[in-house]
Amino acid sequence: MEGRWDRARVHSLATDASSLRAAQPLASGRSWPLTGGADGSAVWGECQGSAAAPYRTVVDLSGPAYQCSCPSRKFPCKHALALLLLWSDGAVAADGNPPGWAASWLASRSARASEPKPPADPAAALRRAEQREGRVASGLAELDRWLCDQVREGLAASQRHGYRHWDDIAARMIDAQAPALAERLRALAAVPHSGSGWDGRLLEEYALLRLLAAAGREQAGLPAALRDTVRSRVGFTVRQADVLASATPVKDHWYVLAWRDLDQDRIRTRRVWLRGRNTGRTALVLSFAALGQSLDDSLTVGAEIDADLAFYPAAVPLRALVAVRRDTVPGNAPAGTTIAGLLRGYAAALGQDPWLDTWPALVEVTPARAPRPCLFDAAGDALPLHPGAGESWPLFALSGGHPLTVAGEWTPRGLWPLTAWDQGGMAVPL
Amino acid sequence: MSTWHDLVTASLIGTERAVVPAVAIPGAPSVANADDPAAILLDRAALLTAARRAGRPPDRADPLPVCEPDPRPAVNQAAGRRLARMLSGEHSYLLTEWLTAVARRGLRPPAGSLPALLDRARRADADLRSLVAEAGGPRARWLARLNPDWDFVIAPVLTGQDAWRLGDPAQRRSYLAGLRSRDPGAARELIAASWRGAARDRAMFLSVLPDNLSLADEPLLENALADPAGDIHIRAADLLAGLPGSGFGERMATRARALLRLHQGVLRVVSQADRAHLIVEVLARTPLGTWTGDFGLTPAEVVALPAGSWAPVLLAGWSRAAVVQRDHDWVDALTRRALTGPPPGSGVEIEALRQLARRADPALGAPDAVPGSRPDTSVTIVLKFRYEMLKELDDDDGN
Repeated sequence: MEGRWDRARVHSLATDASSLRAAQPLASGRSWPLTGGADGSAVWGECQGSAAAPYRTVVDLSGPAYQCSCPSRKFPCKHALALLLLWSDGAVAADGNPPGWAASWLASRSARASEPKPPADPAAALRRAEQREGRVASGLAELDRWLCDQVREGLAASQRHGYRHWDDIAARMIDAQAPALAERLRALAAVPHSGSGWDGRLLEEYALLRLLAAAGREQAGLPAALRDTVRSRVGFTVRQADVLASATPVKDHWYVLAWRDLDQDRIRTRRVWLRGRNTGRTALVLSFAALGQSLDDSLTVGAEIDADLAFYPAAVPLRALVAVRRDTVPGNAPAGTTIAGLLRGYAAALGQDPWLDTWPALVEVTPARAPRPCLFDAAGDALPLHPGAGESWPLFALSGGHPLTVAGEWTPRGLWPLTAWDQGGMAVPL
Repeated sequence: MSTWHDLVTASLIGTERAVVPAVAIPGAPSVANADDPAAILLDRAALLTAARRAGRPPDRADPLPVCEPDPRPAVNQAAGRRLARMLSGEHSYLLTEWLTAVARRGLRPPAGSLPALLDRARRADADLRSLVAEAGGPRARWLARLNPDWDFVIAPVLTGQDAWRLGDPAQRRSYLAGLRSRDPGAARELIAASWRGAARDRAMFLSVLPDNLSLADEPLLENALADPAGDIHIRAADLLAGLPGSGFGERMATRARALLRLHQGVLRVVSQADRAHLIVEVLARTPLGTWTGDFGLTPAEVVALPAGSWAPVLLAGWSRAAVVQRDHDWVDALTRRALTGPPPGSGVEIEALRQLARRADPALGAPDAVPGSRPDTSVTIVLKFRYEMLKELDDDDGN
């Protein structure tokens, strides 16, 4: 069993700053009339709060997973965090037997974990796969009808629709086992309220969704790489083990260009963009955290890792897994392209994957504010900054009217700046 | 592209009523593999979307003026990271000290932190504003011309009488402070003549008086003691307490002597129980020379006198006195005592020691500077932060 965790590790479990803040005053023996631990596998305790009965808190350290009788919906709640902090400080005796209430929860967890896996049955697996293909196909047909209905009735009605309008069709895509489509549809609810030009943006999305539905139904006739792209955009996932087994890893020194965190449906997604020093390839490494889990922050902006990356199969392979990681070395600031170069690269990628709407940008540019906030290069070509990125004052402050290297995400609405390099070549996350 | 516009218009109206416009994309196959006008519209829109995204022409921009160079080097990375921590709320009251130290070393903050610094200064007092404007240098002025929120950085410099008559509060204070250091009497007369203004002005007047404070200021301050507005009487009392020979100081010393006696090497509080608050207030305004003079001891010796359960109360009162009377020997003695003593109990004591820690010599925060320092008291934490903050500014490479 590994030893006690340090405070930093406990801190990293907190879902937000406020729960950690609330936990600090509870992390003292006074608040915990009863505590105990089982040899690095679990910690439990009773916390005397404002309620008459103490809250009962258990943490299964192998997950970690949390159980607490308090009404909080955060995992871990402040009690679980406080208990872990107390344990981290060595203030919890670690050689006890759990009381009944803790033991039953821990037992139910270990029973679930050790449940025998169903024996592999290739015929049944094939049957399930076929069933899913059938469900997805009918889901795509339904989506196609829904999209045509929208355009038949007119998009003008969209501004009066509430979120339900898109949630309903998204829910049907979940039933059809096409979760990526569902996610894309749910995100559309915000488009009618995204300001001037919303109608064009909604039409673009609907048009590309119909194209996706058509491609999904006729995937047998598509080239293999495009089929992989279509299937992933519908929601078929490729298991990490299969990526590692099938892809030839790309060995390089990968410079960490930028990262961006996005929250949707209580899941935080971290997108980390890497650039290979020798191959010149760009890779996107995703990590996810549900409530109660901390995100992978081992890839620090400005560092360079000596690693093998395995790319997911796709028409434009961007997403990758770190298959083997050897060493982290301080990286040198990368050189960006022109804006024409960025647009050329994006156009070529669109030729392979017309749904691609987030494209890595690494450009040598100067920020400007008129006619709207934008970046321009030595040739005088300019691209707008994404309106959602805000005023981007730190970017302007770093530039002072001089050119600098900027990494970010190019989208049809504009460039979302994520990292800039200062005069000393240091990477500054924006 | 007007074709796209036509498609959007048709989709807004709906194909039940609108005709689907034709789309001509050179080299693209004509799409008409569906009968439903809605499907045809969507297919044409998909083609155009891909074409428009792939064929997007770049915009043009109006370049900004180029910022003039700043000859000062930026602080090292460790200092830059600490600044970011302070800007996000950690010990943010130390920004003034940090900026002063940075300016004294001929350094500048990292450019990327300027927007956050300017936002902070915008809502802060005149002192922090002028420190940020100075530390930010040409880059801050360049930014201020882009964002009117930050125009305090480039506000026109009013001089002389204009600054006093027409300036904002910061400029008026700056004029008055300059006058005070050149000609303390003239500044005093200007204050007396302007005393009937807003309470905020009177508080500002008092804030320039510590410079060249003398008994000639006593009548003005005695008068302010009766001022009912805000904390003016408190500021006046603090100034009078630190003014050697002031009548107010003598009156407070008389009250204090009646409360606190040295008897056979032990400090005794001659008072009814539960007067802790009163004792802190009286001690805070009593000239510190009262104790060193009466007892014939140094500040360190006074602070070390046994006082039983009253010790924390006395420590709090003296700490406040040492801060407002700007007495370095007392600040030093009290800080050493606070570093090794038990943690303060009441809110009044905590606040008094916190103020003390902000003014003490940061060298006391060095490791082992005061043997036996308790690591967990707020005084220790603040001093250690200040010590490290200043030390890393002198490091060649603070990674």
